[in-house]
Amino acid sequence: MLRKLMTTTLACALMAGPAIAYDLTEMSWDEIVDEAKAEGELTWYVWYFQPEFRQAVKPFEEQYGIIVNIPDVSSGDDALNKVLAEAGRETGDIDIIALGGQAGNRIDVEAVFLGPILPLLPEADRLSDEAEGVNWQGYGVKYWGNQTGMAYDANRVDPETLPQTLADLEAWIEANPYQLGFNYENGGSGPSFIHNVARNVLGITPDSVVDEVPDLVSVYDWFNSREDKFGITASNADSLTRLNSGEFLIVPAWEDMLFGLIRKNEVGDHIEFYIPEWGMNGGGNVIAIPKNAPRKAAALLFAAWLTSAETQTALNGVFGSAPANTAADDSNALVPNDQRANSRVWSAPLSDRDVVPGFIENVVQD
Amino acid sequence: MRNAIRIGLLLAPGVGLVLAFMGAVLYRAVAQAFGLYDFSGTSDGLSLAHWQDVLTTKRFWRAFQWSAYIAASSAVIAVALAYPIALWLRKPFRGSLILSAMLKAPLLVPGLVAAFLLVNVISYHGFVNEFLVWAGVWAEPRRMQNDSNGFAIIGLQVWKQMPFAFLLLSGAVQAIPDPVLNAAQDLGAGKFARFRKIILPLTTKAMQAALVLIFIGAAGDFSFQTVAGPPSVNSMASYMASLQGSEGDWNGAAVVAVMLMALSLFGAIGLTALVQLITRTLGRLA
Repeated sequence: MLRKLMTTTLACALMAGPAIAYDLTEMSWDEIVDEAKAEGELTWYVWYFQPEFRQAVKPFEEQYGIIVNIPDVSSGDDALNKVLAEAGRETGDIDIIALGGQAGNRIDVEAVFLGPILPLLPEADRLSDEAEGVNWQGYGVKYWGNQTGMAYDANRVDPETLPQTLADLEAWIEANPYQLGFNYENGGSGPSFIHNVARNVLGITPDSVVDEVPDLVSVYDWFNSREDKFGITASNADSLTRLNSGEFLIVPAWEDMLFGLIRKNEVGDHIEFYIPEWGMNGGGNVIAIPKNAPRKAAALLFAAWLTSAETQTALNGVFGSAPANTAADDSNALVPNDQRANSRVWSAPLSDRDVVPGFIENVVQD
Repeated sequence: MRNAIRIGLLLAPGVGLVLAFMGAVLYRAVAQAFGLYDFSGTSDGLSLAHWQDVLTTKRFWRAFQWSAYIAASSAVIAVALAYPIALWLRKPFRGSLILSAMLKAPLLVPGLVAAFLLVNVISYHGFVNEFLVWAGVWAEPRRMQNDSNGFAIIGLQVWKQMPFAFLLLSGAVQAIPDPVLNAAQDLGAGKFARFRKIILPLTTKAMQAALVLIFIGAAGDFSFQTVAGPPSVNSMASYMASLQGSEGDWNGAAVVAVMLMALSLFGAIGLTALVQLITRTLGRLA
């Protein structure tokens, strides 16, 4: 028994092999592609749309003969925690990881990730390393653009009467009590709504400079004075489910999430989407390669494919995501391009993290 | 002495493992709550800062009270329902075996499945609303999902835990010898007198065990709260998940974990003492 155990341990140690010793920055793109093909597979940690992504990566698998493993990951934070937890290991489990743009504020990207990888990508000049107002210094590359807005039941709401400004919203809530629902956690659509209502109540415009967090009492009062006229939902998905079932008329939502649910017939196509003039946050996700990724060349080739104009156009068609490559086509989006002017940044002026915890404590728990 | 050592060594593989695993979990939770260990960063050393951060929020205390309320209500209602059924089924009768098996059926159904089913049934356009509107009882659908009183969660807890209480209590009531009850009846004791002077004292331990186990299980509830609970209030477990998941605050989550263990411990002691007090008081009644 002991001999078997020792033999197995030795075999495992030999199979694991040494850490990969090549330097991607010293290699030509053709050499990187050859090395990637030799590696043969990669593991991509992405926390959303996993079944759909397993289909979406098939063209990459067919083109390069490299298998893409997409394990089930429950949340972006769980994926981030795994990267951090195994950062001390010589060789980790993750080849490439998707992260929300703001994750770059919470970790030392230079210490954890390989790079900068942006200059290594063939379409680098059409791509960006900024997402959600965070500069990833080339260690993360934006591959996914998403936008929060308001989803509404087009069978029962005339688009002409949709609230566009804070004053419109106040009047709309008075006229339609308990027909607005939003979440405060388990997804960012509700927090985006809370955040942008707060900005409007405080008179903060996109050009404002906010050096310190202002007194938020007027924001809490705005919500508390209407607490019996709106509903709190459990999550992004719960908001859309209850809108779809007719319980609410209008809820905050993510554009790509709604697009996907309509496509799968989980939500009817009578649910439509707009970005109001009071502003809703737009975001983006990046991909990054951990320093201890076991198959770095395959990961970089995958990053190049994922951010290419062709793939970004395809993703827009399948998911409704906003392309992150300037040469891609975004004609499948749920909103016309002119409404994108109402998109706001999560982090400034006045970060959502300065507003939402206080909202939970002083409105939800009040 | 040699015997004691031998017994200790024989027990070590079992007891030692249990102690090691329990100890490791407890140590991690307590150490993390006091800042001695940090999963995602560098430990700041011994500190009460995380306790101060968590215990000064309304959200924590609402979660604490909510979990205590749900756990106590669920435990008391489940036992109160299981008691008469256990007494009724004490002596076998035609069909009692099938009835007893059906009562235990919820043990086989995962709680999450039941929670989703309930939410579907009571949702805005669920079966209940549609039926009542169709029958003309209500003019329009009513919002029953995620009710703010937690009736849905208590209902789910009772549904899930009552068979467990029934199992414990039926064992205890069946163990009471018939001659004892017959003797009491011969001496003039009525039904209520037999219940409070014989049945209740002889089944107190089983009732305490049922109450304590249900209380601890319900205090740590995550799934029922997440699916059927009101979004504006957390249970202790869902608050832990929220602190760690939304804010990455592992230390804060550990503080909540330690307080959840304290709630389970003191809640269990409180319920045990309450049962003891009630049994004695009822026994003293003329």
